[in-house]
Amino acid sequence: MFSEGLIRPGNLPILPRFMISVRTPFRLPSLWVLRAFLVVALAGGLGGCGNDPHPKPLHTKREDGTPWVVRYAYMPDDPRSLDPQFAYDQMSRLLLEPVYDTLLEYHRFKTDPFEVVPCQLEKMPERVKNADGTEDYVCRLKKGILFHDDKCFPDGKGREVTVRDVEYAWKRIVDPKVECPALAPLEEYVVGMEEAYEEAKKSGNFDYSKPFKGFEVVDDQTFRIHLLKAYPQILYWMAMHFTCPVAREAVEYYDGKEHPDGPGGQIVQRPAFQWHPVGTGAFMFDYYEPASRARLIRNPHYATETFPSDGIPPENVEELRPYFGHTLPIVDEAQITVFREQTPIPILFRQGYLDNMGVNKDAFNKVVTSSRDITPEYKARGVTMEKEVDVSTFFTTFNMQDKVVGPNKKLRQALSCSYDTQSFVDIFWNGVAPAAQQLMPPGFFGYDANYRNPYGFNLEKARKLLEEAGYPGGIDPATHLPLELTIDAAASGSEERQMTEFMQKQFEQLGIKVKVIENTFANLLAKEDNGNFQILYGTGWGADYPDPENFYMLFYSHNFPPKGKNAALYKNPEFDRIFEKMATMDNTPERLECVNQLRTILAEDCPQLFEFHKAFYGVSQPWAGHTKTNMMLEGGLKYARVDVAMRERLRKEWNQTPTWPIALAVIGIIFAGGYAVQLNRKRND
Amino acid sequence: MAPWLENLIVIVSLACAFGLLRLGSKNERWQRAWKFFKRDRIGIVAGIGIAIYLLVGTLDLLEISPSKSILDWVLGDAIGLRDEPTKSSYSAPFAKTTFDISNPAPLQLPGRHPMGTTQLGKDTFVQAIKGSSTALVLGGLTSLIYLPLSIFLGIAAGYFRGWVDDAVQYLYSTIASIPDILLLISMLMVMQKGLGTMSLALATTGWVGLCRLLRGETMRLNERQFVAAARSLGQSHFNIIARHLLPNVMHLVLINFVLGFSAIVLAESILSYLGVGTPIGTASWGQMIDGARGELGREPLVWWDVTAASVALFGLVLSLNLFADSLRRAFDARR
Amino acid sequence: MTSYIIRRLLYCVPILFGVMLITFVLFFIVQPPRARARAILGEKATPQQIDDWLHKHEYDKPLPKLFVSQTWKLVTFNFGLSDKTNRPIAKTFIDGAVPSLCLTVPAFIAGFFMAVGASLYLVLIRYSALDRFGVFVCVALMSIPPMVYMFIGQSALALHFAYFPAYGFEIRGFSTAKFLLLPVALIVVMHFGYDVRMYRTIFLEEITQDYVRTAFSKGVSQLRVLFVHVLKNGMISLITLVVTSLPALIMGSILVENFFGIPGLGNALVHAIQTGDAAMVNALVYLGALLYLGSLLLTDILYAVADPRIRLS
Repeated sequence: MFSEGLIRPGNLPILPRFMISVRTPFRLPSLWVLRAFLVVALAGGLGGCGNDPHPKPLHTKREDGTPWVVRYAYMPDDPRSLDPQFAYDQMSRLLLEPVYDTLLEYHRFKTDPFEVVPCQLEKMPERVKNADGTEDYVCRLKKGILFHDDKCFPDGKGREVTVRDVEYAWKRIVDPKVECPALAPLEEYVVGMEEAYEEAKKSGNFDYSKPFKGFEVVDDQTFRIHLLKAYPQILYWMAMHFTCPVAREAVEYYDGKEHPDGPGGQIVQRPAFQWHPVGTGAFMFDYYEPASRARLIRNPHYATETFPSDGIPPENVEELRPYFGHTLPIVDEAQITVFREQTPIPILFRQGYLDNMGVNKDAFNKVVTSSRDITPEYKARGVTMEKEVDVSTFFTTFNMQDKVVGPNKKLRQALSCSYDTQSFVDIFWNGVAPAAQQLMPPGFFGYDANYRNPYGFNLEKARKLLEEAGYPGGIDPATHLPLELTIDAAASGSEERQMTEFMQKQFEQLGIKVKVIENTFANLLAKEDNGNFQILYGTGWGADYPDPENFYMLFYSHNFPPKGKNAALYKNPEFDRIFEKMATMDNTPERLECVNQLRTILAEDCPQLFEFHKAFYGVSQPWAGHTKTNMMLEGGLKYARVDVAMRERLRKEWNQTPTWPIALAVIGIIFAGGYAVQLNRKRND
Repeated sequence: MAPWLENLIVIVSLACAFGLLRLGSKNERWQRAWKFFKRDRIGIVAGIGIAIYLLVGTLDLLEISPSKSILDWVLGDAIGLRDEPTKSSYSAPFAKTTFDISNPAPLQLPGRHPMGTTQLGKDTFVQAIKGSSTALVLGGLTSLIYLPLSIFLGIAAGYFRGWVDDAVQYLYSTIASIPDILLLISMLMVMQKGLGTMSLALATTGWVGLCRLLRGETMRLNERQFVAAARSLGQSHFNIIARHLLPNVMHLVLINFVLGFSAIVLAESILSYLGVGTPIGTASWGQMIDGARGELGREPLVWWDVTAASVALFGLVLSLNLFADSLRRAFDARR
Repeated sequence: MTSYIIRRLLYCVPILFGVMLITFVLFFIVQPPRARARAILGEKATPQQIDDWLHKHEYDKPLPKLFVSQTWKLVTFNFGLSDKTNRPIAKTFIDGAVPSLCLTVPAFIAGFFMAVGASLYLVLIRYSALDRFGVFVCVALMSIPPMVYMFIGQSALALHFAYFPAYGFEIRGFSTAKFLLLPVALIVVMHFGYDVRMYRTIFLEEITQDYVRTAFSKGVSQLRVLFVHVLKNGMISLITLVVTSLPALIMGSILVENFFGIPGLGNALVHAIQTGDAAMVNALVYLGALLYLGSLLLTDILYAVADPRIRLS
C-alpha cells in the first residue's frame, strides 16, 4: 500500500534474470530535462501560493455596490443529517438553525434566565386548561412568511407558509420512516401520537392525508395542540427544529433518486431531503461538502423578524443601536468549515481566517493569562474574549445493579470523595470548566452556586468511608488482595486516554486496583444500553431545554435504557414520587423545594460521580462584533456582524510570507548540482 | 499474574532465543557470514545498539513487585528519576517549576527531569525508556506468532507444491488483497485492546511477505542436486525439510525477523496515532507521539514528549535496519 | 495467451470471495450491527429508532442471508448508501477519489523521478564513502515515524512561514496546487529513503552484469552506460515493482489526508471504520481488493508477455 511505514518485510519481488535483455519499447527523456520540468512546476505552484484556505465568496459586491459580507465559522465534525425531524446532534443543529426558523425561539440576548419568544408565531401560545385535565395550546402563525426560493416550488419561488406545513412537520415526527428522536418524549404528552405511530408501523406507511388528533387546524393561521396532561415544557419543544414547518414539495422533490436535472436533460442524482434543507430562515442553504465545508447565502425575502432592540446588555447598547430593527441576516454569506482535527483551528484563527473560536487547550496559554484575562498580544490585536459555560454536566456512572458497587452506598461515596475534580479541570481544561457540585448546570431554575457536594474531594473522608464500606485500605477481606474495579471508557484520542488514566490513578490512591476497558464509542453506548458495565466513564448530558426536568429525568426509574436514559439503572420510589410532582410544575418556590430535595437524594445515594460543567473561553476577532453568547442557540448566525474592511487589512498584516527560506533552498540545490557535476567529471577521468 | 511467573516467562523466552542463535552458529553458512560480519563496523555498532535496547527492555519486564520492575528500581531508586504528582502536569526539561505560564508551581523534584514531565506528571525520560519494553514485547509476540506460521506454510508450499501450494497461495493472496490498515484497524476496533490483540493483528498482516519469500526460495532449492540426492536415498520428507531446506533458508528468516521487528515498532506508532494502539497506562512511543498532535500546537510548545519518544524509536529502528543490511551483505552468496 | 489471462481472472474470484467473507466476519459477527446503529444514531436514539434503522438497512436479517445479499450487491456494483451519512457510496467514492489522486499521483511521479535520480547518483559513486553515507541517510529517513515528518512540515512551512494553507482542500483550477504542495512533498520525503535503497539495489545488480563490463572495456563513459544501458534495463524491474503500488494510489495516503484535512478516500476509509459505517467499509474494501487484483493481473500479463515459459506452463 502506498501508505507510510507499514512496509512489510520480504516483499521484494523475485525478478527473473532473463528480463535484462529485453529491449524497452520506449525512450526515456534525459534526466536533466525532467529535473528542469520539476523545478518549473514547483515554481509555478509556489507562484499560486498564499495561505488562505477558503474558497472565493459568491460575490464581491452587492447589487447596490456595498461590499459583500462573509462570515467564517466552523464545526468540529460532520453533521449527521439536515432533516429537521431527524437531526439531533450539535453539528446538524449548527446548520439547521440559520436555515429553518422555528415556531418559537430563544431570545438572542436574554441569557440569565433564558427566555423563549415567538418567532414564526404572532405571540406566545395561549394555554387552555380543560376540565378533564387535558390542556390545549392555541397558536397563531404570522402572515407572509415565505419558504426559500427553490427548484422544488413552481417557478422556483418559495410560497407562503401555512398551518398545513406545521401540521405536515408534526406528522413527520410521528412517521416511523423518519425516525424522529422527539417522538419518544412527545408521545407521552401529545394526544394521539402513540396510537398514530403504532398504526403506521403496522400498516407500513404513514397516511399523511389523515388528520391526527394531537394537532387541530382551526383556520389558515391558527392551530391547536392537544395535550394529555400538563406539560409546560412543550413550549421548549416548539423552540426546537423538530416542530418547525416543512414544505411537502421539498420532501417529495428531494428524494435522492436520479432525474434528468442535469444540463441538457442529463440524468443526475438529486440530493435527498436530508442533505438539501428548504426552510424559512434568514439563510438559504447553498451546499455542503462532507469533511470540507458548508455554505449558506442570505435569504432576500426574510421578514419574519428583525434585529431586536430589547434585552440587550447595557455595555453593548451603544454599539448595537444602529442595528435595531435592521433586516436579518446582517451578513450576506456564511462559510462553515468542517474540521475533523482540532489543531488547525487556533492556527487559522491566528491567521485571521476564522472569525471566532472556542479556545482549546493548545491555544490556551497563548490567548489567556494567569488572571484569566486575554493576553496582551491578542488584546493588542483587538480580540475579545468571553467565558462560556455550556448547559451540560459530565459525570461518571455507577451501575446500581452491579453486585459490588450497586448495593454498597458507602463505597460509591468513598469513590466520589477520592476524585479531585479541580485538578482534573486544571490539567485538562486549564481550570476553566467549573467543577460540578450537582447534576444541573448553572443557569437552570434551582441551581445554587453556593451549594457544595457533601461528597466532594476529601481524601481522608474517602478512606474512612471505604473502611466503613468494608474494604479497609482498599483490601477486599474476602480475597486479601486489593479490591478490583472495572471502568469502561471510550478513549478515542490521546487526550481522552490521559483523562481515563487520571481517573484510574485517583481511585488507586485508595489502594484499589482499577482495570480500564477501552471501547469504541459504539460499544460503549451498547454497554450503556445493556447495563453491561460496572463504572462508566466519559459521558454526560447536554440540556435539550433549560428546565430541571430535563436533567432529573435521567434518574427516573421509568427511564431505564434502552428506551430511556437512566444508565445508572437507579430506582428510588421516593425520588420518583418527588420527580413526578416536580416535572410539570411552574417555577414556584414549591418547585424549588422539590428540586432541592431531589438534589439531596442524589448526593446521598451517589449513583453518579459529578465531574464538571463544560466551559471554555470563546474569542472573537476585532471585526466580528461580539456580544455574550447564548448557549441555547447554535451561534445565532443571523445576528452576526462583520467589518469587512478591517478584516482585509488585518489579514494582510498577520500573514507575511518571508522569502529567505526559498532563496536558501535554491542556492542549496544549485550548490548540490554543481558538486555532483564536478564529482562526475573526476570519476570519468 | 504473579511477578515470579512473569519473570519466569521472560527469562525462558530469552533463553530460547539464545538457544536458537547457538543452534544457528553451528550452521556453516552462518559461520562464513559471521567472519565477514565481524569486519563490518556499522553492523557491530548497530548490534550493540540493539543489545542495549534489549537489555533495558528486559529489565523493565522483570518485576520486583506487581507495579515495579527492575528498571523502575534502577531509574527511581538508584538514579533518582521519579514522577511528579499528577496535578503538576507538564514541566520543561530540567525545570524547577511546572509549565503553567499563569501559575507556575514549584516541583517536588526540581531540576531532576532530564526530559521534563508528561501531562499527568510522569517523568518523560523514564516513559521513553520504558517504551522499549513495550516495543520488545510487541515485536517478540508478533514474531512468535508469524514466524512459525510463515516458515511452516512457506516451506510446505514450496516443497510439496500441488494443492498445498494452491491453498497457501490462496490464503496469502486473500489477506494481501485487503488493505493493511483496514485489516489492522478493524481487528483492533472489534477486539479488546491489548498487546496480545495488537500482536495478533500485526502478525495477521505481516506473515505474507516472509511466506512468499520462503516459498520461492524453497522451490529454488528443491531443484538443487542435494535435495534430489536425499530423496533418492529415501529420506523422509520431514528429514529433508529439517536437515536440508530449513538450515538453508534460516538466514532469510533472520533478516526478515530483524526487518520485521523494525516495521512492527513503526507500525505500533502509526496505530497509536490512529487511535487503535496500546491500552491506557502502557508506556509506548506511539502514544507519546500521538499526544504530540495537541502538544505541538500549544503556545508555547510542549516539545519534549514527542522528541524523547521519536529519538528512542528512531534509535531502535535505525539500529535494526542497519543491522539487517549488514546481515544481508554478510550472507550474500557472491562474496 | 488468452487462456492464461482467463485462468488468472478466474483465480481472482475465490480471492474476492475470501476478502468479502473476512470483512463480513469482522463487521457483522465481531461487532454486531446493533451496537453500530446506536453509535451512528447517537446517544439520544430511542430503541424504536434503532429498530427502524436496522430494518431500513436490512441488518436485522439472519447472518447467512445478509452475507449473500451483501456480496451480491457488491458484485453488481450496487453500493447503495453509506450507513452514517446516508449519501450514495458511489458518489462518495468518486468525490473522494479525486482529492486522493490529486495527492498521490503527483507524489508518485515526483517521488519516482527523484528516487531514480538519487539512486542513479548513488550508483555512479558506488562503494565510495559518500555512497555509504547516502545509504545510511536513506535508512535513517526510513526509520523516522511518518507523523514526525508531518508535524515538522506543518509547523515549519505552514505555520511559521505561511507558505501554504495549514489545512483544507479545494479544487480551484491551478491554485489547487497550494493545498497540495506541502502534503505531496511530505509523502515524497517519507518514501524517499525506502525507494532509493530499493532502486539502488536493482541498479547495482545491473552494473555487475557482463554487458556493462563489456561496455566499460569498450571505452563507453560512465554517464552513458548508467543513463542509457543500466537505466533502460533496470527500468523493467522497476516498473514491475511499481505497478503493484498503483492501486494504492486511489486509496490515498491515510495519515497525510487525515492530518491536512484533505477529503480523500483514505480519510473516508478510516473515518468509516471508526464510526462503524459497515456499508462504506464493505464497498471500499471490495474496490480496494479489485484494484489490487487488477494490478497483480497486469504484472502477470507483463511477465507472460516477456517470458514465454510462464504462459505455457
